[in-house]
Amino acid sequence: MSTVKEQLITNLIAEDKISQRKITVVGTGAVGMACAISVLLKDLADELALVDVEENRLKGETMDLQHGSLFFNTSKIVSGQDYKITANSKLVIVTAGARQQKGESRLALVQRNVNIMKTIIPAIVHNSPDCKLLIVSNPVDILTYVVWKISGLPATRVIGSGCNLDSARFRYLVGEKLGVHPTSCHGWIIGEHGDSSVPLWSGVNVAGVALKTLNPNLGSDSDKEQWNNVHRQVVESAYEIIKLKGYTSWAIGLSVADLSGSILKNLRRVHPVSTMVKGLYGVKEEIFLSVPCVLGRNGISDIVKVNLNPEEEALFKKSAKTLWDVQKDLTF
Amino acid sequence: MATLKGELLKNFTREKVVAHNKVSVIGTGSVGMACAISIVLKGLSDELALVDINEDRLKGEALDLQHGSLFVKMPNIVFSKDYRVTANSNIVIITGGARQEKGETRLSLVHRNVSILKLMISNIVQYSPSCKLIVVSNPVDILTYVVWKLSDFPKSRVIGSGCNLDTARFRYLIGQRLGIHSESCHGWILGEHGDSSVAVWSGVNIAGVTLKNLGTDKDWEQWENIHKEVIASAYEIIKRKGYTSWAIGLSVADLTESILKNLRRVHPVSTIVKDLYGIKEEVFLSIPCVLGENGITDVINMKLTPEEVAHLKKSAETLWAFQKELKL
Repeated sequence: MSTVKEQLITNLIAEDKISQRKITVVGTGAVGMACAISVLLKDLADELALVDVEENRLKGETMDLQHGSLFFNTSKIVSGQDYKITANSKLVIVTAGARQQKGESRLALVQRNVNIMKTIIPAIVHNSPDCKLLIVSNPVDILTYVVWKISGLPATRVIGSGCNLDSARFRYLVGEKLGVHPTSCHGWIIGEHGDSSVPLWSGVNVAGVALKTLNPNLGSDSDKEQWNNVHRQVVESAYEIIKLKGYTSWAIGLSVADLSGSILKNLRRVHPVSTMVKGLYGVKEEIFLSVPCVLGRNGISDIVKVNLNPEEEALFKKSAKTLWDVQKDLTF
Repeated sequence: MATLKGELLKNFTREKVVAHNKVSVIGTGSVGMACAISIVLKGLSDELALVDINEDRLKGEALDLQHGSLFVKMPNIVFSKDYRVTANSNIVIITGGARQEKGETRLSLVHRNVSILKLMISNIVQYSPSCKLIVVSNPVDILTYVVWKLSDFPKSRVIGSGCNLDTARFRYLIGQRLGIHSESCHGWILGEHGDSSVAVWSGVNIAGVTLKNLGTDKDWEQWENIHKEVIASAYEIIKRKGYTSWAIGLSVADLTESILKNLRRVHPVSTIVKDLYGIKEEVFLSIPCVLGENGITDVINMKLTPEEVAHLKKSAETLWAFQKELKL
């Protein structure tokens, strides 16, 4: 007896089930789901795969997204606990891991998350050997290094979300101070995502006008307007929001979608993301820190060489040392 | 002494900014924030106000959104537990209220939510006397009635999110069976948002081709199960992740878009149905409504079977039985 489908539709060719722009999100906690909804509403993928260890939450979140299908343009949303479901991904966003607790520093999370990466990264790479990995879990710079080591992928394809969010927060706060939209306020924060990030004050500008030419003390302690508080606020942001709502999600989700867009559409925009910086600025160890990187379909294809003044270079090397002190004791 | 801002910018005007598409979201729980992020990602409004009694969570959520400003055309975000921040809203989305517990029916939420709404509505109306109200809190049909009574707004401006989500789920599930995007699968679920909603099988069609025999005994494929699945959806998701958020947020953004842009698209939303389909009670049920800048401007007269009409009337009676006990 014929089905309604057979009566309604005449099939011409078999459906090509291979997706061209598949994105996987590992971890369906607040961050993972914020990444998912941002990616969906920005129309970046034709297939979205979700993975999590918590089966019920995974299924619930997946169903909830699927039920919104009428309102977006990603026709395939799948999930599973077996990494087979992630096969053929162009980009895998890793948010899995223990969450930063109230008052806990990012570095204190390290070993907990290293062990988690050891279980998930080999499976991801096995199922999508050509993918780009975007690491969000904290402490992001160390974990990007860890994932790079475990995955065996070239460093160009292992990207840490790094200071993309710090720079966004910085530009938002500068924008608030000036009454100008963040997209018109330019400024870069590089180095460690977190407590020892480096704000590049000399580059901060609006319409090409460097703020430092208007205020030579910009960013220093002798600055009467205390613009360095803007950087301080950026560093404290995560802790403040965690204290208020328990975790951060929206901003990091939006920033990850921003990076995903550059990668999937091969935009070659420049973003401050975490990459292997051995050999730059006198760094001798295999460290991942954020520097301005060109992002495209192959991941990080180029690095922009920023001129750091002696102070900034010292801070950058200090970040490197802080991270190496933790990294060297990690067991894989 | 000159500030950096003073040196960088030459001011032309200090005219006060008036928001034209301001949306307020009452309640910054999962549903409220899903509405907020959907509206933000769709670039629908120029100002977004958030209100909640939990001040810490409210501030945390607002800051978190603001920090994403670089990546979307972020509206101006204002937040407070004082309703003053909602002034001059074009649309106010009400998600505040008690959340459906595991296994709890929507109807048992009623009494908890009525007292919360009394305070909320008088505040909203004071600051945005010409806004459109979208009620999301459950049980949505009863609460839309409550909000209508408390606000004293014309019926065009009080809209219950109603079956907009049920219909979206319905179309998604039909699309899954047929291998077609839900946008091309047409079907309407009307009546009560929840256990006694009505699937109008006669209208289910792809490209104008109605799917014959659906919903009858001749249906060996049991398409009827799709409707059952829609009804069970919320409970199913709540059981697994504790609450639903994404789909309802997206569906509310969809309604918001129709209103803000005066699209005059037709949506199954909850409106007063007294004197329609032989219904005598002052109840709100979902029927296809034309949504534009003034809210619900028209409703579509559906051709329903006698069973479907009887079903709607029964829903109306059930809702009225509850409603008449409410002290408003």
